[in-house]
Amino acid sequence: MSDARILDRGYRRFEGERSGLVGAVRSVAWHTVRSILGLGRKGRHKVFPIIVLVVSFVPAVVFLALSVLIGDLLEGELRPEYWEFFGFAFVATVVFTALVAPEAIVRDRRDGMFALYLSTPLSRVSYLVAKVVAVLATMALVVLGPPVLWLLGYTVQSQGPGGLLEWFGVAGRILLAGLVICTVYTAVSLGVASLTDRRAFASIAVVFVMLGASIATNVLVEVAGLADGWRVLDPLGVALEVAPRMFGDRGAEAAGVGTWLVALGCLGWTAFGVALLAGRYRKLAAV
Amino acid sequence: MSQGAPIIVAAGLTMQFGAQRALDALDVQVPSGVTGLVGANGAGKTTFMSIVLGLRVATSGDVEVLGLDPAARGPELRALVGYGPERNVFPDEMPASDFVRHLAEVRGMPRTEARGRASDALWLVGLGEERFRPLGTMSTGQRQRVKLAQALAADPALVLLDEPTDGLDPVQRDEMLVLIRQISTDYGIDVLLSSHLLEEVERVCDHVVVLDAGRLVAQGRLDVLVGHEDGVVVELVEVPDRSGALAAVVAAIELAGLSVRPGSAPSRIEVLGDDADLVADTVRDAIAAAGARVGRIVRRRRRLDDLFEGAPR
Repeated sequence: MSDARILDRGYRRFEGERSGLVGAVRSVAWHTVRSILGLGRKGRHKVFPIIVLVVSFVPAVVFLALSVLIGDLLEGELRPEYWEFFGFAFVATVVFTALVAPEAIVRDRRDGMFALYLSTPLSRVSYLVAKVVAVLATMALVVLGPPVLWLLGYTVQSQGPGGLLEWFGVAGRILLAGLVICTVYTAVSLGVASLTDRRAFASIAVVFVMLGASIATNVLVEVAGLADGWRVLDPLGVALEVAPRMFGDRGAEAAGVGTWLVALGCLGWTAFGVALLAGRYRKLAAV
Repeated sequence: MSQGAPIIVAAGLTMQFGAQRALDALDVQVPSGVTGLVGANGAGKTTFMSIVLGLRVATSGDVEVLGLDPAARGPELRALVGYGPERNVFPDEMPASDFVRHLAEVRGMPRTEARGRASDALWLVGLGEERFRPLGTMSTGQRQRVKLAQALAADPALVLLDEPTDGLDPVQRDEMLVLIRQISTDYGIDVLLSSHLLEEVERVCDHVVVLDAGRLVAQGRLDVLVGHEDGVVVELVEVPDRSGALAAVVAAIELAGLSVRPGSAPSRIEVLGDDADLVADTVRDAIAAAGARVGRIVRRRRRLDDLFEGAPR
């Protein structure tokens, strides 16, 4: 066996081009996505994301399997609309939301990475942009994945939208609806998670705010008899309602709510989350 | 030690937090080499560093770092600056190599370059064999080295180190100071070292900026600010039957026309005078006349601590 050892690797100057602020944002966003999904970490960090992803894809996979097995029998009432897949993954989405935002931002504050990031080309704003991109991207796996899989599966079986133009129309509406849902959930969950430095508390707070507001709104409308318009106070429901509206339809619960009110609700909840996030991070010390 | 244009130039730099003035009209020039930023807690060191990094905007005054205005071109500047924070908290599960590589990427290194440089930086600080260990399993000394490695990995022009020897034992501290010196002399990277430990600043720095309560106490080359002074320090050995010997020695020296001031210990005095021969002869005669026993006589040496003595409060 050779006893050769490298004793001095030396120090090299870097003459190449630096990637600047865009590279910094990209690096932090990718690092955050990996952290959320448990990539490059011990096995136990991968378990929860895998379970949630599997659960979220089950309805789409089951319906695709049924369509392959029984073909045309899955028609009419039995055949789900594209937008309905956003609702099928509802529970998985809520659970994932409670996991993603705390993992993305709470850890950095606890282990000193936030302060260290601010000594790099990142500023508070660009740091948060990176985190938003990361949370949006991972959230999209759960929110957009199932309807996109359904669309692709149906297309492969020649049962999808007829013609290229219609296909892109459906795909575009799915993507836009998914983007709106992800944006609302990302803003609210990041805003709420920014209020505490403990990930467990942050997860509980996210569930409490999103699910709590949803339950409270439904009780107020259905039991206390408030007008349907009050459903905009339900962050989960108002964002999901965007999907049927994209396809000229209306969800069963929010059928009485005007589309402009749905849009206003989404904007309001997004603004609420962004305001919480900005307020919290403006006060955080850097160095 | 390299010489050239100052790497940091501040003029009239003032930082006001409500009623508290953290920095008071600082005029500072930090040249190339290793510069110590010295002061007690609350002296304004951290505020100064945060302004240098472009993380705070001064209430008034101007500052330029590596020829850039930190307030206007912060991201561009921070890509060229490595920073080792005082805080010793890290993502525990992350291997050291991943941590250093990630921060090198964030500071602008391409991915493949960052991987290689992270490995090199960890070898340089003596953690080559340990580079795949999670940070949470490392000792305080190793973590301090990791902080230095991440500050170096992106090939900075300037490294800011905040209390880099905090929590280290004497051996680790010596090794860290050698590394810091090496960064400047061997790799040509300028270093601004913030510390409240004057002794380590004296050991490693070429220049010093001394702050006290937000005001500039002194700045310049260390060998000019500290070093030998005129006069001697005399330490007498206390002998039971010669209890008045010290007072007699002091009286004799003052009678000869030289100034005497108390030293840092009860049996120690400082004799001031610019004529070395006269001082030596006068001290010798005074000791002989008083029958005192001499512990030691050494030339007076000005230390960084002395710079604080005359500082306005």
